[in-house]
Amino acid sequence: MWTCTGCSCLCEDVEIDENTVRHACRIGAELFRGRSISRAEPLVEGKRTDIDSAIDKAVEILKESKGVAIYGLNRSTLEAQREALKLAEKLSAFVDNGSEFGRIVEAIFEGLIPITTIEDVRDYAYVQFYWRCDVHNSMPRLMARTYYARGKKRQRGYEEDRYLVVVDVRKSHTAMLAKKNASFFKTENDAELIGEFIKAIRGGVASGDVMRVVREVKKSEFNVILGGQIDAPMKLIEEFVKEVGYFVPLDYRTNSMGFFKTFGRRDELEKIVEDIDTLIVVGDDPMDDVGFDVMKSILKLKIIVITPKISFISKFADVVIPSAISGLECGGKMLRCDFKEVELKPPFKEGFSEEKILKSINGGL
Amino acid sequence: MPSPMDIYKFLPKTNCKLCGEQTCMSFAFKLLKGEKSLNDCKPLFEKEFEENRRKLEEILAVIEKATETGLVVNEELCIGCGNCVVVCPVHVYEDPKGAGSGYGVKLERPILRVENGRVRVVDVGLCRRYRDKMICVACRECCPTSAIAFLEEL
Repeated sequence: MWTCTGCSCLCEDVEIDENTVRHACRIGAELFRGRSISRAEPLVEGKRTDIDSAIDKAVEILKESKGVAIYGLNRSTLEAQREALKLAEKLSAFVDNGSEFGRIVEAIFEGLIPITTIEDVRDYAYVQFYWRCDVHNSMPRLMARTYYARGKKRQRGYEEDRYLVVVDVRKSHTAMLAKKNASFFKTENDAELIGEFIKAIRGGVASGDVMRVVREVKKSEFNVILGGQIDAPMKLIEEFVKEVGYFVPLDYRTNSMGFFKTFGRRDELEKIVEDIDTLIVVGDDPMDDVGFDVMKSILKLKIIVITPKISFISKFADVVIPSAISGLECGGKMLRCDFKEVELKPPFKEGFSEEKILKSINGGL
Repeated sequence: MPSPMDIYKFLPKTNCKLCGEQTCMSFAFKLLKGEKSLNDCKPLFEKEFEENRRKLEEILAVIEKATETGLVVNEELCIGCGNCVVVCPVHVYEDPKGAGSGYGVKLERPILRVENGRVRVVDVGLCRRYRDKMICVACRECCPTSAIAFLEEL
């Protein structure tokens, strides 16, 4: 049994043989099956070289730079993130992973929002809110593990022992699953709806649909909000979670929670791009997340990319250093979306891990 | 799903009994159940009924894709979420620690299993529709991408 690092579900039951990947969703299956496709090669200014020369060139660029930012690290292990932290401290660098969950995670670390684990959601949770996240597509197996699975105290299946609430701006695939014993709220104003829920839970009057959900919430002591990018003031979210029960942040980025735990902060690339002259990209691609104006600014920088696969940004990089795929080709630890630490046992052993590469760069500086 | 009458319309309606059935209507029923094939109706292969035969082949193409329980899986639409595997009552009963608890199914020959990111029918022998002749649609109910369908609803 292997661990899939396709998303932050970190499913630990994947079986592989020569031609078949069993139990993984399409994201995970392609990660295993397409492992050898589009692999990156060590490049310096577009020319093929060896990995040591690429690392030396990266060190050379970093020595001359006046402002550095490190972007990505979402698919990296905790060990690699710690190595990146050392590098960031040495260079006084900015760090960013492109995730919008900073505020909520900060509140979780401060103990203002109570959290729970996927296993506890499965075993005890009655009402499950999926707020502003189409998990069926971003984290495909999550609902099978939380909502559809039978738990210790939830033995009778989802139609009787669970109540599903989906809140989104459109009727997503997740919202289509809200059938029997379920409600779907289509709204663009999260704050207003949260306000209505809080008022109703505290004994006030709200619309019929909200009252129906609140009646269900009061039936159980263990209810959970699995939240995506909730667009409401933090204070309101905190109050709402305390009234309902527990919270699980659903950031699909594999080790995004590990990033927040390691660095404790995030400097938004959009805001600091003008203050830097060198960008180190580890694992991810900032071009997936930023707007066109920021993209143009990024292309003016010196770019060092550490990546297992060719990406859009690697086409424009000054230095490309190929790395192993975390969890598949090198081991380590990662944090699941609910902050549970998962040990990765790699089925293959190939290439240099991001941790090793970052350590070599650190050593050279 | 086509009805026996839809099929009967295109048969020769001569009750020739060459297929071994007493009437063309009973042959239509057997065709739908998969107990007879179009090749059993000899007159259909005469020039006179060529167009009818082509239409019948079109109608029956949907049925050929289906399993014995009428389950049709469109792999292109499946994203491998495994909801169907976890929710199947037979899987829950036979494999409570695996599929029943939200993990991959551990049975050697399950009804459904996610392979290469898509759901695949492995063995319908365990399915309640096959074994108990029960109209169960648990797997289809939790598939929002419509990758799972049943013949009676097509």
